[in-house]
Amino acid sequence: MLEFFQNSIDSLSSMHIIIKICIYLSLVLASTIFLSLIYLKNLRDRLKIKRRIEATYQKKYESDLIEYLYAGDDETENEQQQKIVIYLKKCAANRLKRKIIIGTFLKLKNDVSGETADAIQKLYYQTGLIESATSKLKSKKWDVVAKAIRELTQFEIKETHDEIIKLVNHPKKQVRFEIQKYLVQLFRFEGLEFLNIIENELSEWDQIQLLEILNKFKNLQLPDMSDWLRSKNDSVVSFTLKLVRIHNQFGVKDEIIALFNHSNPEIRVEAINLVNHLGIYEAVAILKTGVFERTLEEQIAFFKMMEEMSMPDDIEFIKEHMNHKNFYIRISVMKIMNLITVGDDNTFTINNIAEEYQINTNLTKAS
Amino acid sequence: MNITSTIIDSLDFIFFGFAIAAVTSYIILAIISAFETVNYMKKNSFVNYTEILSSSISPSISIIAPAYNESLNIVENVRSLLSNHYVNYDVIIINDGSKDDSLEKLIAAYDLVKVDYLINNQLPTKPLRQGVFKSTNPAFEKLIVVDKENGGKADALNFGLNISTNKYVACIDVDCLLLEDSLQKMIKPFLESTDEKVIAAGGVIRIANSCKIKDGKLLDINLPKSSIVKAQILEYLRAFLLGRMAWSKLNGLLVISGAFGLFDKKIALEVGGYDTKTVGEDMEIIVRMRRYMEEKKAKYRVAYIPDPLCWTEAPDSYKIFISQRNRWTRGTIETLKKHKKIGFNPEYKALGMVSYPYWFLFERVAPIMEILGLIYFLILIFNGFVVWIYAISFLVLAYLFNVLFSIITIITEELTYHQYSKKGMGWQLIKTAFTEPILNHPVVLYAAIKGNFDYYFNKKIKWGEMTRKGMSSN
Repeated sequence: MLEFFQNSIDSLSSMHIIIKICIYLSLVLASTIFLSLIYLKNLRDRLKIKRRIEATYQKKYESDLIEYLYAGDDETENEQQQKIVIYLKKCAANRLKRKIIIGTFLKLKNDVSGETADAIQKLYYQTGLIESATSKLKSKKWDVVAKAIRELTQFEIKETHDEIIKLVNHPKKQVRFEIQKYLVQLFRFEGLEFLNIIENELSEWDQIQLLEILNKFKNLQLPDMSDWLRSKNDSVVSFTLKLVRIHNQFGVKDEIIALFNHSNPEIRVEAINLVNHLGIYEAVAILKTGVFERTLEEQIAFFKMMEEMSMPDDIEFIKEHMNHKNFYIRISVMKIMNLITVGDDNTFTINNIAEEYQINTNLTKAS
Repeated sequence: MNITSTIIDSLDFIFFGFAIAAVTSYIILAIISAFETVNYMKKNSFVNYTEILSSSISPSISIIAPAYNESLNIVENVRSLLSNHYVNYDVIIINDGSKDDSLEKLIAAYDLVKVDYLINNQLPTKPLRQGVFKSTNPAFEKLIVVDKENGGKADALNFGLNISTNKYVACIDVDCLLLEDSLQKMIKPFLESTDEKVIAAGGVIRIANSCKIKDGKLLDINLPKSSIVKAQILEYLRAFLLGRMAWSKLNGLLVISGAFGLFDKKIALEVGGYDTKTVGEDMEIIVRMRRYMEEKKAKYRVAYIPDPLCWTEAPDSYKIFISQRNRWTRGTIETLKKHKKIGFNPEYKALGMVSYPYWFLFERVAPIMEILGLIYFLILIFNGFVVWIYAISFLVLAYLFNVLFSIITIITEELTYHQYSKKGMGWQLIKTAFTEPILNHPVVLYAAIKGNFDYYFNKKIKWGEMTRKGMSSN
């Protein structure tokens, strides 16, 4: 055997350099494949074991938590409860166990309310989890900071507000969004204070999520939105326009009219779309003047708005655009003139009341 | 003798250089993909997809699914498309002149009636046959069925673009199984971007053969017994996990799978919709959209979502497999030829100087180089010029590199989505990694060469048939 290896090495040393490189590379690749296979096997096993461990601990912590919640009276903590607190505090020092404990607390917290939820909150403080989360706010790793803020949001920890708002212009958007959610989730409309100080754009995705959170809170005092509608940050204006629409804020109509001349065409379209929704009749005449100097999207929005807002005086003006080259404008004109009726599902019927107008041939009739 | 020797040396240099360049590019792409995947997973762990689901202001999406002779599974497939969790979407089925009873089945299953429907005919298409249908049952209010004359997949998709009233369109194959959270995951990059316009997004396609599917839902993931399908599973994993992720990072994606892609409808219409004259319409529209944005000097991106969102049936016979790959090759040739202006053109920045050259060299030219290399090798054998120790060393090296690349793909899959978690599946994939270069690759090469041949000498060939076995009853 030894002789075989010796012979192989001797013959290798006499080979051309390219062959040598190929053989060495092949050996490296073969070894890497072998090691990768061992790693893969180990990885699959580890993942299975990890899942098993997580399930076991989760079960254990769930039963500890339930025992804690039902062990004592409302006022004082008994010995059994104190033992559970000490045990959970000890476990929380381990990263994986801490993650499972937090998950377990949250799972139950979301299912209960009142005193039980308060007790879980109390346990969050007692087990030292809050210190762990707040200390992470100073981390240099963005994902650690974001996770900490998310945890503080989920446990509704309001006292970290001042520390968190300092990070509102964090360079990482994931952190910024966690902060915005924290503020809105815990402080409702007051939390929108961040709109005054954000320097970055609020994406559509963020806007939708924040509005959905705010939608859950009913009958709250709404803040004055005029300043936000005058913001130099276009995304703040866009977000506020959505807030105005959802909460029917007619009081800001002057600011909305002012937005017809905003530098961003998308904001102008959003503002026009609000005219009909809020019933700002004085805006119609303003828009009608020079409507065709506006972008096509604005013109479409204008005619769409006129479907609901037009007055008999407007018919002459509308009629002139019966054969407009844009499909959507033509349809709006026909709707305003009651030549067709279009359902919400985009199906239509042709009305027989106005024979003097020829229905556009581009309407595809299936029947 | 000197001339022969010079020719042989030159050819050695060309083939060797090409192989080194290909291997280097694969390694670079794999490294970029690995970093990008880790980054994506980290960022995605903070995303809450539930809020977007229920929001009435979430943007509207039309799922456009062309169907041609899909009678066997059409009812189930439509049910699957209707069960998406996204709130603001509709499903437009374009029955593209099917000769079977697809339409009758749909009418019966979904209580469809013919309606007058507003259609903005912005793109030229084949005309309606029986018309547009909507359901009388409110449970299926999201469904629109169009019965039109046959014009091919691109024509049907263009009809969908005309009839859709929504801001975004998801163009899919009707037999694809979309996961319930697929639309909100796909729409995310469009809504998230603030400094550049996302014009299209592509998702990962996974293979559903042998998976357990019921009522349009994926219940259980299995590996099929067929070696050709297993090889395709590995191939798809490699392409999506170690290839496209990197191209996404480099903003150089040239293709979004026709099986599932989401588009900004306005841009898709502005560029003129799908090209009906190519068999690679999915690649062609992306290249055209990118070219349009580059020429407008607009900041844009084609996004890519690595989550397994769409599952489809892969060919399980060599005949259909070859026909599919043949078509892909012809599609690539047609697209690259049509847009040759952008190739190696610095005006198109990364698109012209990185993406196009890569596709040209390693997708378009690679099979030709490979077959020329084989012919050259045979000539050398015939003339006794082969130094076998060299040949065998290179062959072993190439094989080991291929196997290692596949194993790294399997590890990446384990570390990210861990879809093949059942006992024995890991072993089966490893086995496939060892056999695929020997069993599958020659077939892929043959299909690519046939694609080249058909493109130049057999212009009549168009799509080719895909016989569906159906996924729903597995």
